[in-house]
Amino acid sequence: MSTEANQGLLAYIESERQRILDACTQCGRCLEVCHMRPYLPLETSNETAIVGQVLAVLARAPVSPDTPETKDALTWAQGCTASGVCVAACPESVNPTMMLRIARMTAFGGLGDPKLAHKPEDGDWFPRIRAFARTQLTESEQKEWM
Amino acid sequence: MDVTEKATFWYGCNVLRHGDIIRGCIDLLRFVGIEAVPVGGPNYCCGSIKDANPVAGDGMAKRTVERMNQKNNRRMIAWCPSCHLQMHNFMSKGYETNFEMDFLVEVLFERRELLRPWLKVPVPLRIFLHRHVGFNQLVGINRMVPELLAMIPGIEIVPDSYRAPSYMCHALGPHPTAMAAMLRHSEQTIHATSAEALVTIYHQCYRDLCGLERQGVTKVFNYIHLLARSAGIERPNEYMEWKNAGPEAEQLIGPERIGSMGGKPAFDRLIKAELLKLPIRRDQR
Repeated sequence: MSTEANQGLLAYIESERQRILDACTQCGRCLEVCHMRPYLPLETSNETAIVGQVLAVLARAPVSPDTPETKDALTWAQGCTASGVCVAACPESVNPTMMLRIARMTAFGGLGDPKLAHKPEDGDWFPRIRAFARTQLTESEQKEWM
Repeated sequence: MDVTEKATFWYGCNVLRHGDIIRGCIDLLRFVGIEAVPVGGPNYCCGSIKDANPVAGDGMAKRTVERMNQKNNRRMIAWCPSCHLQMHNFMSKGYETNFEMDFLVEVLFERRELLRPWLKVPVPLRIFLHRHVGFNQLVGINRMVPELLAMIPGIEIVPDSYRAPSYMCHALGPHPTAMAAMLRHSEQTIHATSAEALVTIYHQCYRDLCGLERQGVTKVFNYIHLLARSAGIERPNEYMEWKNAGPEAEQLIGPERIGSMGGKPAFDRLIKAELLKLPIRRDQR
């Protein structure tokens, strides 16, 4: 099922980053078809410029988060809900959902880059799941199934 | 029934709110000849929530793949679309797996002729099937789930071509205008088609929409509830009971279970707030 056995996620992310940068022609089709676009507070309407700023984040180029296109690029990357319609629409098989996800990871600073956006962490995520599990599974099920 | 295969059943994390759904899946798999080995919860997390910390996500992926490999089952059946996507897009690309992954809907669909004889109990219900645009490109759920539901005597699915953005409602949480648009469409269609219930495919949508019952909009089920009911399996749907009970849920859950999660402060912080949360109100959409 895997391609490069046990390369790890971080190495795979870096290989995808380069593949996307090599493949994308910045045509803007992915943003045109995005199902979330009507619900995102984008300031501009220039698809190619916004995609260009997503690529700049991916390329780790210096970007100014205050310019409208960069703001829009970050809003779009954070607003992606993985509808996936862009994947079929992309004429270059870029996988724009993956492009936005890696741009998001980069912008959050988790891959060692300057932080361009903030993701609030829900510290109760796992405690909440464990609390619900205690209401739904027997003790032996919790031991065997979790 | 003849059990012909043992498979790892990766139910995920958040469905642990719904023991009835997990057990329903295990029953249905048994009916189609599969002995499920359930795994899930934080120790089997896919790490998809860790976009801000991919290093942690990498560690979680490695650990979860290793644990699943140790099960030595040829097939792993995923319940959760987020887990499935994360395994498909990242985990299996980073770490070698010794299993093939299928989505639960695919397995039930592939073996639907084994499932059909179990679906004897009529469930007379006209339903609105809640569907999203996403994930369907990877697994044809929007075609398979209606076919599975159509095997239940008495079920009628109202026609509807709308597909909500994303692949699940939970991802729409930070986008209230998108959530409101989806709710408006759902309620209008339910009214226009005289549907008696909204049925979700994923637990994430079920969690976010089951409050529509308390709001008096419609009854809400997950498709597993209906398949299980038709197979003669009735289990309490506690999450729905708690949601409908609102502030009284604490009494239903009881002191013993609240004690097991760390007492009332933990209950208030981890569970009560969620149970009191309802979909965006009609007059605010």
